Amino acid sequence: MGMWATARRMASTTRSASSAALTFELVGKCSTTRARASILTLPHGQVNLPIFMPVATQASLKGLTPEQLEATGCRLCLNNTYHLGLKPGQEVLDAVGGAHKFQGWSHNLLTDSGGFQMVSLLKLANVTEEGVRFLSPHDGSPMLLTPEHSMSLQNSIGSDIMMQLDDVLVTTHPDKARMREAMERSVRWLDRCIAAHKYPERQNLFCIIQGGLDLEMRRECCREMVARDTPGIAIGGLSGGEAKDDFCKVVATCTEQLPELKPRYVMGIGYPEDLVVSVALGADMFDCVWPTRTARFGNAITKNGVLNMKREMYAADFGPIEEGCGCQCCRPADQQGSLGITRAFIHHNAAKETVAAHLLTLHNVWYQLNLMRQAREAIIADRFPAFVNEFFGGLYPDGQSYPSWAVNALRGVGIDLLEG
Amino acid sequence: MTVDIEAQEPESTAMRFEILSSALKEGTSATARIGRLAFPGRRPIDTPNFIAVTSRGTLPHVTPDNISKHLQVSGAYFSLEDFVEKSQQNLSRPPPIFSAPTSTTHPTPLHSFTGTPSHITTLLAARRLPAVPSPIGNSTKSISIFTNTGFQNLSTTEYLSAISTLQPDISIPLADLTNNTTATPTSKRALRMAERTDEWIVDWFSSPLSPSTTTFAPVLPIPYPIQWEYLSRLAEDYLPSHQLSGLAIHDPDILPDLSTHQSSLLSLPLLSLSNPSNPHQILRHISLGIDLSLPNFKTAVSPLSEGCSCYACASHHRAYVHHLLQAREMLGWTLLQVHNHAVLSQFFSGIQTTIKNGTFERERINFSRVYDPEMPAGVGERPRARGYQYMSQGGEENAGKKRNKPAWRELGPTAEGETPVEEVPETTQTPVQVPEGDGAKELQEKGLGEVVKE
Repeated sequence: MGMWATARRMASTTRSASSAALTFELVGKCSTTRARASILTLPHGQVNLPIFMPVATQASLKGLTPEQLEATGCRLCLNNTYHLGLKPGQEVLDAVGGAHKFQGWSHNLLTDSGGFQMVSLLKLANVTEEGVRFLSPHDGSPMLLTPEHSMSLQNSIGSDIMMQLDDVLVTTHPDKARMREAMERSVRWLDRCIAAHKYPERQNLFCIIQGGLDLEMRRECCREMVARDTPGIAIGGLSGGEAKDDFCKVVATCTEQLPELKPRYVMGIGYPEDLVVSVALGADMFDCVWPTRTARFGNAITKNGVLNMKREMYAADFGPIEEGCGCQCCRPADQQGSLGITRAFIHHNAAKETVAAHLLTLHNVWYQLNLMRQAREAIIADRFPAFVNEFFGGLYPDGQSYPSWAVNALRGVGIDLLEG
Repeated sequence: MTVDIEAQEPESTAMRFEILSSALKEGTSATARIGRLAFPGRRPIDTPNFIAVTSRGTLPHVTPDNISKHLQVSGAYFSLEDFVEKSQQNLSRPPPIFSAPTSTTHPTPLHSFTGTPSHITTLLAARRLPAVPSPIGNSTKSISIFTNTGFQNLSTTEYLSAISTLQPDISIPLADLTNNTTATPTSKRALRMAERTDEWIVDWFSSPLSPSTTTFAPVLPIPYPIQWEYLSRLAEDYLPSHQLSGLAIHDPDILPDLSTHQSSLLSLPLLSLSNPSNPHQILRHISLGIDLSLPNFKTAVSPLSEGCSCYACASHHRAYVHHLLQAREMLGWTLLQVHNHAVLSQFFSGIQTTIKNGTFERERINFSRVYDPEMPAGVGERPRARGYQYMSQGGEENAGKKRNKPAWRELGPTAEGETPVEEVPETTQTPVQVPEGDGAKELQEKGLGEVVKE
């Protein structure tokens, strides 16, 4: 357990902490909010935080080549353990030498534990102290996924960041006793994961804070998890339909308790507003399938909101998807690598040819990564509150109809949107 | 033996086509040849070669950056019917492609609207390849085209107006075709096809055409004696006037007749519009003199080859492509498109070399000895096909047939003893693709948990 207990203070200007397979270096802090900018060094290279991580569920980011994903600036993306376990399976991953080689991706990978998909995708999955019991999607025979199985599979995948198997409940679960059981079990399972993890020197295991919407339970979970000194910490169980106000309270409560020199990952978060507010509350890492999925439905994410490119109004619109965007599709024709894609062409092929989905995926991934890049630059220049105001101003040009959850959450960290 | 023919330079356009050498065969003058076709501003095309077939203005599954980076394709076939659907919400709106702005990187509205890189030579025809037969049929003044929102009529005047706006490098005038791949037209119908196409070509050439667009006249898939008047008009009127720049040949088996009766036409670049079902047919067409082919079997499921230098082979391995196809990930199709286009490019470049070395005929016979003429049947699931253009792709025999098995069926017991489908809960997660095999044991072997003994 003391394996990563090597955190050490560095020179006074930048502070950093290292564990066997990770270095976290804090390079800037917002003087108003809790937002932080940092550099995370992982086995497959450096990434700048805050960061959005696109989700390549089945070892492929929906339609993009790894080369195209790299060109968006992405250096850390997700794979899903459950899906890779089904296809291609552990044996193939071992034979090929892990998921990086398997998918031709030389940068970092993060994998979930596989438990979430069990619970959300499979009928009749239930959780016991041993692990997640489920019926084989194939023939219905009873099966069991334990923390040890999850670690073994993630070790075969070779992800740079692996997640502990946790007992996930929807945050809105009514049974408080069950919620406490899930939280405490997640802590016990973390101990089993740590014990079963074969390669701590080259793969980082993150713990996951549980506890639903009960802030006291979240605090208790933070204490227990932090004591186990994993190289990074995730806040789990959110984005499951809880009120946004509650979501923000949980994130704020956890970040308050967490050690400063470790990366903080809020799982399953992807709407631009959620990202910006969570960064203000002190979170560093996010993932979500929404940007890439909504692309396949013909939606473009822009600084002025989400545009449904299938609408008739875009049929003869020869502007870029988003004016001023620097992605390959949108960047001006005289810039290198510009593809000169127009809204009209996306409209022409949205939901008709996959190429339109690929192009929107390129754009949306770029948007999300760039949003976090801009947030980072603003934090380092200590003008993050101004950035937050600009960002919300783009989405709500009347300067008033901001969502109340965002106003409240930001007020809690010293930004008043309504004062502008 | 090789023959060199003087480069001919039509005055009406800046297109250049040079026949560099040809491999003469005994007993016939229809022959394989190598050449170079060049349009101003485009990458020259060494012939024999192939032109990529687009769908709705895009090479399926391949984004423009991947076309530029990873494909050697230098020409693309577009169909007007992919762009001129009537908007249901806004009936009066003209097709947007006609107002697409141009720039230095996208020099014509066709390049610009479709994001096609400027080095690609564009070819515009009225109909997709292969075209869906129209239940309405053609009339004396127009053909029936199939758009996203249904069938429409297209006259030569409308088509010419579209061409003058879109500025393709090559245009193919209207032809009266049945687009029926199973039945040959009756002799009465064939005669009408020839007469109408002949009338339409007169209309075509009597109208002013943008100087940047060349005309490749259609050669009908009917016997030479039925269309000889039309073909001799091409040779006697429009070849000398330099209005005719090439031929778009629906059935290359007419080439020996052409070389006997209208050999002057063979100085033109010859484009095959037939849909070759295997490389043997391509080789045979080339042996008859075809310069440009439009092979359409590129999405066949085939293994990736050793020693190939394409992006898909250089950066990825079979296990990954296999996985992508198994998991029905779209990237699988992208990689196969990249690879298969690379294989075609290598195939055509090999053909060019053998013609140059004078070994084409020998190698062609070798090829037919070594390779099975039947393309292996695809065993994988094809990409999810959406849109009107797939409703009856491939001609009448496929009309109304779905390419893939339906992914979803009605719940509950079904007719004819089929097993009922399990309810799949609506979810925001990527659906589970359950592998074929021995069930839970297999999952256990894959490391996804263990079977519980009860």
